[in-house]
Amino acid sequence: MRFAIMSFAHLHAEAYINNLRAIPGVEMIGFADDDPARGQHFAALYNTRWFPTYEALIAEKPDGVIICTENARHRPLAEMAAAAGIAVLSEKPLATTLADAQAMVEACQRAGVPLMTAFPMRFSAPVIEVKKVLDSGALGTIYGCNATNQGQLPRLHTAYPRDWFVDKELAGGGAAADHTVHVADLLRWYFGSEVTEVYAELNHIFYQEPGIEVETGGLIMLSFANGAFATIDCSWSKPPHYPTWGGLTMELVGEGGLITLDPFRQVMTVYGKDAPRPRWAYWGSDPNQAMINEFVAAVKEKRAPAITGYDGYKAVEIVEAVYRSALSRQPVALPLS
Amino acid sequence: MFRVGIVGSGFMGSFHAAGWSQTPAELVGYHSLDQAQVNKLIERYGGRSFPTLDALLDAVDVVDICTPTHLHHPMILQAAAKGKHIVCEKPLTRTVAQAEEALSACRSAGVKLLVAHVVRFFPEYAQAKAIVDRGEIGRVGVVRLKRVSFQPRLAADNWFLDTEKSGGMILDLMIHDFDYARWVAGEVESVFAKSVRSARPDAAGDYALAILRHTNGALSHIEGGWAYPPPMFRTSLEIAGDGGLIEHPAGSSVPLSIHLKESGQGDAEIAVPASPLLEDPYVTEIKHFYDVLAHDAPPRVTAEDGLAVLKIAFAAVESARTGQRVTL
Repeated sequence: MRFAIMSFAHLHAEAYINNLRAIPGVEMIGFADDDPARGQHFAALYNTRWFPTYEALIAEKPDGVIICTENARHRPLAEMAAAAGIAVLSEKPLATTLADAQAMVEACQRAGVPLMTAFPMRFSAPVIEVKKVLDSGALGTIYGCNATNQGQLPRLHTAYPRDWFVDKELAGGGAAADHTVHVADLLRWYFGSEVTEVYAELNHIFYQEPGIEVETGGLIMLSFANGAFATIDCSWSKPPHYPTWGGLTMELVGEGGLITLDPFRQVMTVYGKDAPRPRWAYWGSDPNQAMINEFVAAVKEKRAPAITGYDGYKAVEIVEAVYRSALSRQPVALPLS
Repeated sequence: MFRVGIVGSGFMGSFHAAGWSQTPAELVGYHSLDQAQVNKLIERYGGRSFPTLDALLDAVDVVDICTPTHLHHPMILQAAAKGKHIVCEKPLTRTVAQAEEALSACRSAGVKLLVAHVVRFFPEYAQAKAIVDRGEIGRVGVVRLKRVSFQPRLAADNWFLDTEKSGGMILDLMIHDFDYARWVAGEVESVFAKSVRSARPDAAGDYALAILRHTNGALSHIEGGWAYPPPMFRTSLEIAGDGGLIEHPAGSSVPLSIHLKESGQGDAEIAVPASPLLEDPYVTEIKHFYDVLAHDAPPRVTAEDGLAVLKIAFAAVESARTGQRVTL
């Protein structure tokens, strides 16, 4: 089985390349990137082959590719891979517009290749434990969920410059585009129910720096068909001196009680000799590895992956509704027409 | 020195009595329908029992109203008419119109009206506000506040569960954090909220989430509920600014933990935060009110604050009911 990565624009490519290499029977053939400086940098850093064009990589006929371009550039590469019969794992969010997300789903469907969306939190061990409790019915009717997916300004946790995270066109927005989809996807999965309404308030108080024109703070309210409601704090509200990049938390309240989830809390605090501030060192299981394992297994077994392109599409729909609501200052009904 | 009397002898009446007993004020006595509770207060803090509110008012300079919420309005009017200064438990009144009338009556009568939003006196909340005011975290961007307990279960007359009397969980409990959010981040422009009660009127307890936008652009997330298994009660605060962050997660600063095989826990009637402090925040609050009344100190909570937060709480109730954003 041969796999490759398309672009190192997204920092997660740096995790996925190691995840691919860790799987027995997988040959990581290299990566394509149309930015020569970035291509040469990461080819040297990871001692791997760099393809200067995506076409050159596709010509190698890998079994599957992981797309890690800027958010707005997933679609053409997914279409290119699908047309060549190559399975696709796309970084989240699947796309920056609903039309692009739909086109990606349709292209892969037409070609009969799997399309998976990179929602690694579904493979987090504490996250899976909560799913089991919910499926057991112990929480009874679910009332609501208070969730956060906060972070620092994304460029603070990448050594290589990746300024596109605050580019409205390339990223699809700011904090809301970056930090809504993980929780939204988990809630759809947990509840087995779709979002029927979105309300959002966004602001730009954190990181008022030159070149940052996108929202950096946001509170989102989702209503689900099962009657539950949930909020997501998607803010880049963690300061540069925070001990880690950010986090994701959920508190689920139902008639049966309360479940709290903080999957990034499997950490120890390190006060390093030369470090200006304490750091949280994560020691929990690696959800990225489990996610890449699933992608490889789905390709090998010629089956649909545990998370589909449709899941990615539904998350993009929620993000689009977030921006529509923030603009209109009204709740927005889903599905979007 | 002035004379003070307390109306109502439940949890808040007894907390306030404990507070007044630690001030130079003379705690003259109590008016309550529950004579057994009054007898306990007399035994502990002195004073006597008054058969009517009028009789109590005639004997005091200050009345402290600790009755169920729906009784605040008539009692404030009655006290103001007699020219007595007033301390009143939160929420100020059961409706906004009642609060406006109460403010106007107190203004005309020239009496002080102090609203007991005790959260402003809890040391962690007061400290966080001071940190923000000192500019340590820069301009406030997002405030997150949590206050969730089990459903109150008073053995007799559980007025908390009677919406006519208490206004429900949003008015009784979430109002603490609406007030704190407004104190920290300024006036509120709009509210969007969802509650279990508005969607499922038959549900036990309640649970609600609210998103506030402040006029300065800051956002607040308020979580409230009577939804946890007893005796669980959790609060938390987080204030993120453009230069820093204050985090105080639920249960993060528990200085002691006692695990006994025989505990009598699990049967509390209502949830009151356990903060092992040398001075109870309710006592801090009453001592402050004493300073305001005796020495004309500026109040930490004004009657106008009590009215403003009532408007926010009712906007949340309205939003949860209609599904719409409510502007203030």
